[in-house]
Amino acid sequence: MKRKTRKAIRENLSSYAFLIPWLLGFFVLTLYPMAYSLYLSFTQYNILQPPKWTGLRNFFVMFAGDAQYPKDDRFLNSLLVTLRFVFISVPLKLVFALGVAVLMNRKLRLIPFYRAIYYIPTLLGGSVAIAVLWRRLFAGDGVLNTILRGLFKLDPPAWISNPKYALYTLMLLAVWQFGSPMIIFLAGLKQIPQEYYDASSVDGAGRTRQFFSITLPCLSPIIFFNLVMQMISAFQSFTQAFIISGGNGSPLDSTMFYSLYLYIKGFGFGEMGYASAMAWVLLIIIGALTALTFRASGSLVSYGSGE
Amino acid sequence: MRKFGLVLLTLAMGASMLFGQGVTVRWAYWGGEARIKKSQAAIDLFRAANPSISVNPEISGGAGDHFTKVDTQLAGGAGPDIIQMGGNIGDYVKKGVLLPLDKYAGTILNTAVIDPAAIQGGTFDGKLYGISTGVTMPALVYNKSLIQRAGAPLPALSMTYAEFRAYLVALKAKLPTGVYPMQDIGASSSGTTPFGYWTGYNGTKLYVADPKSTQVKAADAQKYLELFKDYRDNKLIPPADIAAGFAETNADTSAIIAGKVAIGFLYTNQLGGYQAATKDELALMEFPGAVATKALWQNASQYYTVNKETKNPEATVKLVDFLVNSPEAAKVLGLDRGASASSTARTAALEGVDQKVLDYLKIAGAHTSKPTPNLPNDTEFNSSFFLLYQLVAFGNYTTAKGGQQIADLIVRMINK
Amino acid sequence: MNKRASGMLRAGYLNSLIIVLGLGMLYPILWLIAASFKETNAIFGDPGLIPKAFTLKNYVKGWSGIGIVGFSAFFRNSFFICALCVVANAVFCSLTAYAFARLRFAGRNIWFAILLITMMLPGHVTLIPRYIIFRSFHWIDTFLPLIVPKLFAVDAFFIFLLVQFIRSLPKELDESALIDGCGKFGIYWRIIIPLTVPALITTVLFTFLWTWDDFFNQLLYLNSPQRYTVPMGLRLFLDSSGVSSWGPMFAMSVLSLVPSFILFFSLQKYFVQGISTTGIKG
Repeated sequence: MKRKTRKAIRENLSSYAFLIPWLLGFFVLTLYPMAYSLYLSFTQYNILQPPKWTGLRNFFVMFAGDAQYPKDDRFLNSLLVTLRFVFISVPLKLVFALGVAVLMNRKLRLIPFYRAIYYIPTLLGGSVAIAVLWRRLFAGDGVLNTILRGLFKLDPPAWISNPKYALYTLMLLAVWQFGSPMIIFLAGLKQIPQEYYDASSVDGAGRTRQFFSITLPCLSPIIFFNLVMQMISAFQSFTQAFIISGGNGSPLDSTMFYSLYLYIKGFGFGEMGYASAMAWVLLIIIGALTALTFRASGSLVSYGSGE
Repeated sequence: MRKFGLVLLTLAMGASMLFGQGVTVRWAYWGGEARIKKSQAAIDLFRAANPSISVNPEISGGAGDHFTKVDTQLAGGAGPDIIQMGGNIGDYVKKGVLLPLDKYAGTILNTAVIDPAAIQGGTFDGKLYGISTGVTMPALVYNKSLIQRAGAPLPALSMTYAEFRAYLVALKAKLPTGVYPMQDIGASSSGTTPFGYWTGYNGTKLYVADPKSTQVKAADAQKYLELFKDYRDNKLIPPADIAAGFAETNADTSAIIAGKVAIGFLYTNQLGGYQAATKDELALMEFPGAVATKALWQNASQYYTVNKETKNPEATVKLVDFLVNSPEAAKVLGLDRGASASSTARTAALEGVDQKVLDYLKIAGAHTSKPTPNLPNDTEFNSSFFLLYQLVAFGNYTTAKGGQQIADLIVRMINK
Repeated sequence: MNKRASGMLRAGYLNSLIIVLGLGMLYPILWLIAASFKETNAIFGDPGLIPKAFTLKNYVKGWSGIGIVGFSAFFRNSFFICALCVVANAVFCSLTAYAFARLRFAGRNIWFAILLITMMLPGHVTLIPRYIIFRSFHWIDTFLPLIVPKLFAVDAFFIFLLVQFIRSLPKELDESALIDGCGKFGIYWRIIIPLTVPALITTVLFTFLWTWDDFFNQLLYLNSPQRYTVPMGLRLFLDSSGVSSWGPMFAMSVLSLVPSFILFFSLQKYFVQGISTTGIKG
């Protein structure tokens, strides 16, 4: 019995040895900033003067508000904008990325070239040039409208500066930069042993059936990973909206993402306490959705080792 | 052995960098390549005259980046020595992070040669915190070539609001479809933009510092919104969604540079940049009604302020004095940060576009009053005003509702 | 014969599908490249993809940088930071991921949940406390705050990524290695690393790209223009008070894509080859 515990401890210690770098990083670099921001969320803090404890007021202003501390309507709006963005752009991006990854997994001679081409939009990342490019495409006299007018004799709106459509141009941008999940899918596809396909070909399965009976199940851990990560990062979308709207969520706050509003509140309006409170509310929202996804994944994701 | 010597040498070099008799002044500003080059030329001149002081510029591309960085640095106790400030200087004074410069006035800092109005602009609660980088003025800018190509007459330098509207209507008749007489300049806010001008024209001050209050009532703000609604309804300015596709904050996003409008709004120190971005010739005119009301103003383009925690206050102030008062510095800096407010610096020769600005300053300068101080929480006011204005422009709010909310906003910013 | 013809037909069909889709997606990039060869005042006036007047001025001017520092210095700095981050992430994220995916220890699930939670807090609210930490180390205006954290596997994204890949590897491989006398590190080094090459390549590629693109931290921690990086340099071509240099900005934007593109192109043969578990699996 005793020998067994000692062995377990030794086993534990040798496992933890692999975690030492990460644990150190967590305790020295991550924990304090996170804890500090949690503390700030209960304060009024303008960055340059010491924080003042205000209890739950920041949260109160977000969700309820009264005469003295009126409800912050822009907060709720930014949350709704972000939710719409997440629930539309993430599935689209994943489907597109998976489709292209499957296409790019074919054995064509020019595939290396194609892959690189398809990855270029992602290379652009959050470059300042994007603001110009997107305005060029979706402005009132942009490329898209020139085509629509010329070919279909339509009278289209100014997509990027119309509050009804501006958010969709940002979703399109997110989908356009689908390279990261595509690469991860591709890496996942490469790890599926070829003999699975060979065996099913012998059984006479077509490509479509193979896709559903082999590719999707084998890829499920990767699909799950991409879903979780894309969701987390979509909730925190910042740079592209910041660059394209000039940092003000224009028009009519229709592109005022949660993180953008949080940034403006914290650094622009000098309300870092409120911004921290917003950050923790977002953490809870993302955390809950991630936990749900994890639970749902239990039956859908199959790991090779049956863990 | 040789390795050891190398280590010693490195150590000695490091030590001399740490303990050498020279001091380093960190100068944080925002600006692009043109400003960086001009500023570096001024730094080089300063270094030649003061070899014991090195100057390390810390440059951010835009004002937003600049203040995020400076705020973080100040919070971490690592702020730069000279901090370039804009209209939000009052907020930084209030938060107590700037050094009062009165102690150095008359000794290291020659304030006697600087326009009293410019000194006053940097003075808060009786203490001098900011030195004007140069004077600038709001102006309407028009695309001379575009108007001439359309066969319309050029606008007069000074007009009343009635004449101005008549001119816009006449211009509209000549312009090709898709090009509007004026950009929707009403969306820019703050005390130092069209809304600020209009409150002065209307005789209601946006902000009175003592006691902290405003003279702008909901009905006044509503009148302002109606002024632009009239323009919008008559297609003298673009519809809201077209207008929102541009931002008159700089040439890159400007409707006037894009050739979509004939008249826009800018500050005189921006003309150089705007002109460089287009082949068309640009020219300046006054806001309507300025002759009668003298509602225009001259204000500091930016301010040089000094971090309260600076370790080298004297070297820092010395550099500020050099940048503001030295004729050589004025010559290399040009009008980039405004036309110098210092009489010793103004003697420097200026040419080209700069001359156009000086001509405008000469005439419009007579139609100015003392600038109204910015509202407290300037950045937040701008952002919120912009949203309210857009809500009216897109038709979500009536002008009455918008006017009421703007009035409420102003009060909230004062009391925050 | 017939089969071969239908195969070729199919390949042709696939190729054209890929090309048409790709062209549509690439239009903005092509425009960017074209714009970088236009005169500054023609960039927005001349709508065509092919410049009417072709000029290299933007590249010359852009390369000369901001007057006091040339753009080559920005590239050098970015390369330096990226190279070190790439190595650190590949090593330390994979070590951590191996522990989470394969090793048993008390509190594993809790630690893994914490790992995920660290990704969920928007970074803007931790900027200031992090800055204060690095300031207390006297690391301001050095590359250290940008590089050293990677030695401590702070990029939870890659840990999670590698965990997912390692978990999908057949576990019998470890067991047979264990029987052969491999320790935990031996399994990591001999079995796991070779089999997760595509995921490791992904880690390398993304670390490079995201570090290359990481404007915010670089803005905060680097003060001296000599230490500025590519994204910081690009921002300096834009001026909020009017004098923007779009031409040089576009030119340098195009150049800044080149290293990532080359890296991608040269790494992707590892995707092509793929990994075969045949033989080991026995």
